[in-house]
Amino acid sequence: MSRFSKQIASYWQQTGAVIRNEFHTIFTDKGVILILVFALLIYATAYSLAYGSQVLRNVPIGVVDECRTPTSRALIDAFNSGPNTYVAYTPTSMEEAKELFHARKIYGVVYIPSDYERNLYGGEQANVAIYCDASYFLMYRQVFQELVTSIGQTGAMVEFQRLVAKGANIPQARATTQPVIYQSHNLFNPYLGYGTFVMPAIIMVIIQQTMLIGIGMIGGTWREFGLYHKLCPAGRRRMSTLPIVVGRALVYALIYAVTCTLVLGLLYRLFHFPMNGDPWTVGIFMVAYMSACIAMGIAVSTLFRYRENSLLLLLWTSIPMLMVSGVSFPREGIPEWLYNLGQLLPSSHGVDGFIRVQTMGASTAEVFGEIKWLIILTIVYGGLACIGIHQVIRRELKQREAACAAEKGRSE
Amino acid sequence: MPGFFHNVYAVARRETRRLIHQPMYLVLMVVLPVVSFSFFAILFGQGAIRNVPIAVLDQDNTTLSRKVVQMIDETPTAMVSYGIQDMAEGERLMREGKVMAIIQIPAFFEKSILSNSQTHLENYVSGTNITVNGLLSKDIQTAVTTFSAGIQLQLLMKQGLTERQAMAQLMPVRFDKHVLFNPHINYGYYLAPSFLPMMLMIFVVMVTTFSLGTELKLSTSREWIETAGDSVWAALIGKLLPITVVMFLIGLVMLIVNFKIVGTPLNGSLAMILVGTLFFILSYQSISVLIVSLLANLRLSLSIGGGYSVLAFTFSGLTFPIMAMWEPMQWVSWFFPFTFYTDLFVDQMLRGTPWVYSLPDLGYMALFIVLPMLCLPRLKRVATEEKFWGRL
Repeated sequence: MSRFSKQIASYWQQTGAVIRNEFHTIFTDKGVILILVFALLIYATAYSLAYGSQVLRNVPIGVVDECRTPTSRALIDAFNSGPNTYVAYTPTSMEEAKELFHARKIYGVVYIPSDYERNLYGGEQANVAIYCDASYFLMYRQVFQELVTSIGQTGAMVEFQRLVAKGANIPQARATTQPVIYQSHNLFNPYLGYGTFVMPAIIMVIIQQTMLIGIGMIGGTWREFGLYHKLCPAGRRRMSTLPIVVGRALVYALIYAVTCTLVLGLLYRLFHFPMNGDPWTVGIFMVAYMSACIAMGIAVSTLFRYRENSLLLLLWTSIPMLMVSGVSFPREGIPEWLYNLGQLLPSSHGVDGFIRVQTMGASTAEVFGEIKWLIILTIVYGGLACIGIHQVIRRELKQREAACAAEKGRSE
Repeated sequence: MPGFFHNVYAVARRETRRLIHQPMYLVLMVVLPVVSFSFFAILFGQGAIRNVPIAVLDQDNTTLSRKVVQMIDETPTAMVSYGIQDMAEGERLMREGKVMAIIQIPAFFEKSILSNSQTHLENYVSGTNITVNGLLSKDIQTAVTTFSAGIQLQLLMKQGLTERQAMAQLMPVRFDKHVLFNPHINYGYYLAPSFLPMMLMIFVVMVTTFSLGTELKLSTSREWIETAGDSVWAALIGKLLPITVVMFLIGLVMLIVNFKIVGTPLNGSLAMILVGTLFFILSYQSISVLIVSLLANLRLSLSIGGGYSVLAFTFSGLTFPIMAMWEPMQWVSWFFPFTFYTDLFVDQMLRGTPWVYSLPDLGYMALFIVLPMLCLPRLKRVATEEKFWGRL
């Protein structure tokens, strides 16, 4: 056998040993199983359940009707007939409305003045006042949209009737009432479901975070108890860290292949999240994302000295990482430098690319930019992981040697 | 009773020494909270969301169609970045993540308007980000409505109406809009009061669990109880008090970041917010004690406590209202003190609710402080029996 094939064979052997050792470590450690295997499934299910209803409907509002005529009641009916609001209370005064508001019984108030009908029939402009609670974004959007649409439709109806009464023919009256029909179509998420919006991003971030914390916990445990050197085959002079990194990465990849298939196959179907991606594209993208996450996980894990450190130090980063990926808080609102810094995280590319593949049906070519970045990150973090493991093992071996020497010195 | 205070003092002194000597406490109680608050202060510093790129497919290419495109471009949210030749090109741009919306203006747009017949304008907005979608849809709709109203006004005035008459004709029902509490829809005002307390909570849970759990992990818990003269109450109060004090001070830093740097208004009672913050910290400390007592394992307690605290955000209803959730999920939201704290916080910060309305929230948080204390006998057993120590 040539030297080269000998080397390959020994690498192969070492990788096999690393894989066996890794499986043993993970599946004999409840804490690690909980985070690496179950956390993704538990969280993905919990969040999907919370966001499962997708849309906010029937927000209670109050109407103060000073007019009390069939015309004003028609307007109230218009608020009631839309999907987003219903008139829960008709308080008699604004004071009363305010109390209901503070008690969180209603989230919007419409005030119809007493001259509403008179103005409307007298060819004048009738005024109503609307008060929307903007302390909750979704609440505000639903209430405001519904009120404005109802009022607009009521107004258009009146205008149309007035024109026809003046003798205009119907197409003409229509064109004058509404010269430009504006139609807005929501693509990929027609009812603007909240789950459809956030779940892809949350799932991607959970994958990365559970990997960082889980692998970090393994690394911390090994360092706390001095187990790293076991990864290095006994009697080997030159240390090769590449098989260690590759072997460990394969194990994590295998675990996540199973859990991700469950999440993307089963959970996605159960909760009817959009699956517009071509399965091959989704697969390729996930492989790239997973490699970057694992490489980063192994690189970071060499920094933790104790078992619990990864959890203590990394748990809080989940929300900031979700934020810099530009989903919950739009990219246009993030300072440029912070966004660019976020590009060092696999999740930023992963979230963006995954939404485009799975929700919007983008092809591999259309997310090539993200895949390229994920590969670059895999290489960079993979290199750092090799260096990190090399350092840790060297330090551990030195310490053992020193301990051995001390032991010897004492026994002599 | 003096003996009790003496014991509490002894434990508090022991705890303070531990806090100073283990650098992890400094990191968890001061460094990381401040880093995370700064992160959100920077993130929300920009405030409003502006210039989201969109594409325009102008099949008419006339003065009027260019006019409406210009009006859309001038809105705060939308920025026309691409003029495209067909819808396929627009779809590709959208899938590549370069535009969030496509505006389509049909041929004969101008001609239809001038000849007084109806035409249309289509807006295809991506629904993948409902925040951007909401802002973009609203701005584009406003621009098109304004454009359309301008045309109507001209048409009606040509027919001999005065401007006042024409206005009454084209908009028979006018509305005065009052956007309460967040008139400029500053997105930071929504998110800062939720994320900043979220960070505070995570660190309270982490540091409390860590300080109790390490006693078990390093088998020092009997010494801890002995310092308190074998009183588990004195042991617990003495241990938690220094952490409570530090975390409350960090809570003040959080409030300063929120009100002074992010710049949210303070329309209600500051006293109520301060009391609420104290209750909030105590309730999560109390829950951490419960978790450690039940599990008697540092790392598992951290996992469970961490998982529990991260979930709180979703169920608080700040982004997705509790009202909209399925009913069983609405019950789940009652299991998190965070829900009540953010209610109180939003009420007192933005809505200017009279403080009486926030008392129930304080009451619920108080329950979370008191109820977990039922586990104290178990805590004493765990702390004094060796079989619970040194677990991984």
